Amino acid sequence: MTRIKRDSIAYLAIIGFCILMLTWGIPTYTPDYPGYGASPALVANVSVGIMMFMACLSLLNIGIAAYTNKPIPAEESEFPEDMEGDAGFTQVGRVKLKHLASTMIPCVLLVVAIEHVPYIFVSFIFLMVFQYVIGSRKWVQSIVVSVILTAVLYIVMRYGFGVPIPGPQIF
Amino acid sequence: MEMIIAGLLDSISPASLMFVFLGVAIGVLIGAIPGINGPMAIALFIPVTYYMSALTAIGFLVGLNKGAFFGGAVSAVLLRTPGTPEAAATSWDGYPLTQQGKGEKALRMALYSSVTGDFVSTVVLIAIASPLAAVALFMGPAEIFALISLALTVIAGIGTSSISRGLMAAGFGILVGLVGTEPVTALTRLTFDVYQLGSGLSLIPVAIGLLAFSEILLQLEKFTVKGGGKQTIHESSTKLEDRMLTFKEFFASGKTLLRGSMIGIGVGAMPGLGAPVASFMSYDQAMKRSKNSEEFGKGSLEGIGASESANSAVVASSMIPLFVLGIPGNLAVAMLMGAFMIHGMQPGPLMFQENAQLMYGIYGSLLIASLFLLVIGRLGLRYFCKAVNIPAMILYPIVVFTCIMGAYLGRSSMFDVGVMLAFAFIGYFMRKFDYSYVAFLIGFILAPEWERALQQVVIISEYDTYMFFQRPVAMGLMALTLFVIVRTCKLNIKSGRKKQVEAAAAKAGQHKAD
Repeated sequence: MTRIKRDSIAYLAIIGFCILMLTWGIPTYTPDYPGYGASPALVANVSVGIMMFMACLSLLNIGIAAYTNKPIPAEESEFPEDMEGDAGFTQVGRVKLKHLASTMIPCVLLVVAIEHVPYIFVSFIFLMVFQYVIGSRKWVQSIVVSVILTAVLYIVMRYGFGVPIPGPQIF
Repeated sequence: MEMIIAGLLDSISPASLMFVFLGVAIGVLIGAIPGINGPMAIALFIPVTYYMSALTAIGFLVGLNKGAFFGGAVSAVLLRTPGTPEAAATSWDGYPLTQQGKGEKALRMALYSSVTGDFVSTVVLIAIASPLAAVALFMGPAEIFALISLALTVIAGIGTSSISRGLMAAGFGILVGLVGTEPVTALTRLTFDVYQLGSGLSLIPVAIGLLAFSEILLQLEKFTVKGGGKQTIHESSTKLEDRMLTFKEFFASGKTLLRGSMIGIGVGAMPGLGAPVASFMSYDQAMKRSKNSEEFGKGSLEGIGASESANSAVVASSMIPLFVLGIPGNLAVAMLMGAFMIHGMQPGPLMFQENAQLMYGIYGSLLIASLFLLVIGRLGLRYFCKAVNIPAMILYPIVVFTCIMGAYLGRSSMFDVGVMLAFAFIGYFMRKFDYSYVAFLIGFILAPEWERALQQVVIISEYDTYMFFQRPVAMGLMALTLFVIVRTCKLNIKSGRKKQVEAAAAKAGQHKAD
């Protein structure tokens, strides 16, 4: 898929989202107009309107370029490879879904598990799994990092800030 | 006068001094690690400041930001990998010096230039923010509404090659910022029956997800793909003249440092430009005006001075629009604005009336942070150099786990951790598809204020749609907003056409070759 095709799909998705918000999301989940001031839905409608207008405009631009058979710049006609240089801002490139899933799934599991398993265990296991996922095969180092990090954050949260530790307690 | 003295005394209290010191030290350390920048550090550490007083918290975060700006130069000079985008120009002359065994000298120049730019800029901020804020007090809701519209438009262009995508991101940010309790009816809005959303989305999980976690996702991607190759630092020369920076060498760049500081102040005071612009502009000017312009890019101390003085000057001057108008000029200041709000203050001209003592305390902390930067940088330079080589296998788990617990700390809620992960996911796609997360975040922060101003305009004007035409300043600002949109669109079209011409020429060349 070329970058221009990918962008077109993104614009279509944005337009779909905006239509959904304008027809269902905003009317259903916004209070009725109280009779004074601006309507509670006004700014929401304006912001969604801006998104939709810009997405339509961008899509139209792509459509006109395709219809008039204008040459497409190389950076947009090829598959979006990772671009260096814009460090700190956007980093246009391929979406690596497998990598994304392997990093996000342990985090999501941590959020679910921490409500049921004591923090000490779940965070230790999470850190071990996470280090394995990112390629660490030095077991001693992984255990040391996991133990120290779990203990330090436990001490800081419990005794430093006095914050309740999530999930069931064993200490 | 009493307020000034009381504020300054607050800033030299042991707790305040300790946290400013800690902020600068952590900032330099974090900035030195490639891939972690000032705004990301502020997002990670805001939850910690919940437990501090307002002055201590702001002093800590400002110190963190100042430290990170200099820290970015460490990896730029030693590895040619700028820790922060604004340090890129520093690497052009810093790294060649490192290759010559003069890395320590280059870092000293970067430090002294940073401190110079930062100090000059802080003094200018102190001198002009208060008088400008007094003028800004004459602005009504119509002007504030118009000003926020202008700021959102200008900022939409940051961090993306297309203003239309920037505006889409800003629109999405505003929409997300509206989730929670509606101010006029006090009823919930856009919560989709999720009761935890009743009080709105907190800035902390959103910022940590978008700024820190999504960045880590991208870095891990490259790290896994490239196999996490470790870079090595060139050995430093043992000769004293190669390591030390003499007064003569430093003062030879005096004019460049002053010019760099002024450029940094000017760029920082304008919303939307940011430190990288200041840094490159100053470097360009220094090269054009220098007697030794041929040395630029090959290891010129003047080049390092130009870049570092300008980017560090942005730190304090970018707070001018925040203190005067309540508008964040860049991402770091947007995060600081969030911190002000968390501590119960609304940044803007009224702060000088409502929290005068605190404001002078912040001024004191800003000056103290400059001094600490000099001391910490001077004493800890060698140790900070070691930070650039922290193994990624240790660093990434620490950052990821800190993100998770940081999101939890704010409201002691695992729901916020889920929000953080959701915004990390959104941030990942925004970066990959070239949508500006900077515009999103600033839209998110400014949305409630924008809506409040609009509500006030509608109520005060009694539904008079010509309200803006009766307020010349508001009308001027709205006209400027339109001008910015039209001009940026024109520039985008022009650049698109240029690319098309280039593509056509390349195609024709290929046909000819065939």
